[in-house]
Amino acid sequence: MEGKFREPVYILGAGCTRFGNLMETPELKGLTLQELAAQAVKEALADSKTSPDEIDAVIIGNVTMQTSNLPATYSQLSKWLGMEMKAGVHIDAGCSTTNVGVSMAAMSVASGVYRKVLVVGLESTSSRPSKLSPYERETIPTEEMWLWTDYCINQAYGVPQGYDIFPVYNGFLALGYCRKYGYSIEDFDRSMFELCKTRRLHASMNKKAINQEKLEDEATRMGYSDPYEFWQSPYNPFLSWPSRLRSAVVPADGASALVISCKEEAEKYDGLPIELSGFGISIGDLPWYGSDPTIQNYDVASFKKAYKMADIQPSDIDYLHVHDCSHISSICTAELSGYLPQGEGLEYVKDGRLRFDGDRPMSTHGGRHAFGHAWAASAGADTYEAMKQMRGIAGDRQIPKTPHTSVIHTHGYGMISTVLVLKGGK
Amino acid sequence: MPESIIKEYYEHLKEGKLVGTKCTVCGGYTFPPTTACEKCGSMALEPQEFSGKGTLLFVSHGVAPAPNPRFAELAPYAYGHVQLEEGIFVQGLITGVDIDPESLLKLYEKGPMAVEKDIIEVENLPILAFKIV
Repeated sequence: MEGKFREPVYILGAGCTRFGNLMETPELKGLTLQELAAQAVKEALADSKTSPDEIDAVIIGNVTMQTSNLPATYSQLSKWLGMEMKAGVHIDAGCSTTNVGVSMAAMSVASGVYRKVLVVGLESTSSRPSKLSPYERETIPTEEMWLWTDYCINQAYGVPQGYDIFPVYNGFLALGYCRKYGYSIEDFDRSMFELCKTRRLHASMNKKAINQEKLEDEATRMGYSDPYEFWQSPYNPFLSWPSRLRSAVVPADGASALVISCKEEAEKYDGLPIELSGFGISIGDLPWYGSDPTIQNYDVASFKKAYKMADIQPSDIDYLHVHDCSHISSICTAELSGYLPQGEGLEYVKDGRLRFDGDRPMSTHGGRHAFGHAWAASAGADTYEAMKQMRGIAGDRQIPKTPHTSVIHTHGYGMISTVLVLKGGK
Repeated sequence: MPESIIKEYYEHLKEGKLVGTKCTVCGGYTFPPTTACEKCGSMALEPQEFSGKGTLLFVSHGVAPAPNPRFAELAPYAYGHVQLEEGIFVQGLITGVDIDPESLLKLYEKGPMAVEKDIIEVENLPILAFKIV
């Protein structure tokens, strides 16, 4: 494998909707998925100062078609996005979809075939079209959403024999981390509380997050003067002991979009293009780890590929987002990336070093728990946040020392591990 | 008529046997069986029976209601990460284990422990579960 772009590739612009619920959230209520996707694309085209006629190809991602009823998404959205007569394809790489789309777009641009490519991700995890209505939706039970999402998981042996994401992605990793590094379960619980506080703090400063309430404020609202007492209360049960509800993903509806461009087009752009200097993609199947659940080998491979392509070392990273459907998984992955020292992640959490104003800022949009998770759209939302930070326009949650090298990692069920390395900005 | 590898796996399981494959190129084991060796990718494979004995490394629990309706009556259930004595890692239900935090903490503090297969039937499908011995 060559492992290099022949020409530099840039992300010129990005768009992202509010993450929320199409049945309830004020900014989204009543919208269809076509309209939701168009919101994100409109912002990305405006941000990149691109007119629809400049786009050569469209890569559109959606994972749970049971909630979208939109197979052949490329054609179903082409009129809505002003993209008819372009090259187009629907992709599904689970929750890595948008960043796999970015990587595919980058290769097509670096090869010289296309000059600008639009990548879009859209998802609803909370509702589906009601009785085949073109615009009315009905809420789906959470377990039904997980059943459909688990179609991405080993259907021969895993799911039929009782596979459950919560122990596999939360409980075992928590126990593995504690045993490996000598943390008590009590220490672990306190650290997860602090990590949730950090993510919720970030989301409280992000008008696009699904949950903009700080954990401390939620505790007060629920009648607890001590937020840690609330954390340990029945309102925050164990999903998979010792991991609790508020250390896990919050499903959302949302869309994101990115415009990928060649160097020549980036040079015409009068904004701040962000260079995509490397990516790594690796796949695997269950079980995701051997005797040490803190190490998932497809992640090791993806980081290695991306760092080599971008010619960076972990010490070069200024901002990191790693997939955090499970907060303890995100600590394991951040340590695997080299951004945090092995076995010290929980200490960094407790010391507030992962906050936007800490020395190892992570997931400043709020992450999968507080920003929310709209499967195919989320990787693009993670990249959107990195671009905001690198351009110095993240508002109240702006990292004081504007990052110049960002790394975005995602897990697509289950698994496709992706790593993007972004450089540049302000 | 060709035999489905997946169907054969469950038929073996129903007879109490854990049957995967051994690669005739690299000698690697694959369990449960697929069409390729999970070590080297070769498709030159022969059947290999596994003992069903192993070590329970971690045990926790899942959620209720279960996403898979097959497990509606059982959920929430204990679920474990197991290394078979042949070296393969598998995950499955752990029978005979209480899932309250105090019980799970005691099991965690004991460390890795010996388990053996405890095949159960759930809605007419044999399921590979394990019990602590």
